[in-house]
Amino acid sequence: MPLFAKKKIDIKSQRSQTALSQNETSYFGKNLTIKGRVSGNGNVIIMGGFDGEFNLRGRVKIAQPAKIKGEVKADVISVNGSVEGRLAAQQRLHLDKTARIEGQIVTPKLSIAEGAFFDGEITMSGRSAQASKPDAADAAPAPQKPGPSGPDQK
Amino acid sequence: MQKVKTADSTSLVSKNVRIEGEIQGPENLHVEGYIKGAIALSGNIFVGNTGIVEADLEAKNIVIQGEVTGNVKAHQQLEIHPSGKLIGDCTAASIDIKEGAVFEGRSIMIRSARPQSGSNSPPSANAAPTAG
Repeated sequence: MPLFAKKKIDIKSQRSQTALSQNETSYFGKNLTIKGRVSGNGNVIIMGGFDGEFNLRGRVKIAQPAKIKGEVKADVISVNGSVEGRLAAQQRLHLDKTARIEGQIVTPKLSIAEGAFFDGEITMSGRSAQASKPDAADAAPAPQKPGPSGPDQK
Repeated sequence: MQKVKTADSTSLVSKNVRIEGEIQGPENLHVEGYIKGAIALSGNIFVGNTGIVEADLEAKNIVIQGEVTGNVKAHQQLEIHPSGKLIGDCTAASIDIKEGAVFEGRSIMIRSARPQSGSNSPPSANAAPTAG
């Protein structure tokens, strides 16, 4: 699958386990409407309508015809379609030029292409995002700045 | 009633993915993961070997290789493979249950859309048998 061919996973050994399931790409076609909750491991491409909560260990691609309402949580999220609600990426998030977002974004790494529509609020520090990902603290402790930090917090 | 265009694309729910809720639309669906809720499609549903579905299903053709718990309605054909398991009632115009398959429930045949001599035409074709 060339869609996720980019293998730039140098995060942690834990993360490479999700890469094992790379072949398992679910595909929700453009005529499909899903209401409810999606969870699990693997990659997902959404072309259709989705209303509800998305919680996935893996990559989510929200393609151009897709219309999402609700919350999307995944390791990597890339958006070409429209989203109304909250997007939370553990690793990174990309908004392509056809993306249309109304709502909140939580991600440590963000890229937005020219032409993307974004109305809302971005949170990039892991701390305020902790409410939604309880295991974020031990799963990926401070991905950047490997310099020696203070001995303890006050 | 307007018949929606036949589904041309097939959606896939892969092994480690779980959906709880409602799924609908003119689309084919291949399930290798877990679905709980309800599925109503005008295309076909294929529940693969690793697929587990706890939902009411409605589709044109339904093929079960995995496990389905719920009521199933196939406007054309229901097929249960040797590895397949259906716990629930089925409504179909035609049923094909292979040796080794598990089926627990009632079966109701759709009589109006009786398939004629192996033809695979959609029910809408039978509904309007106008003379030429």
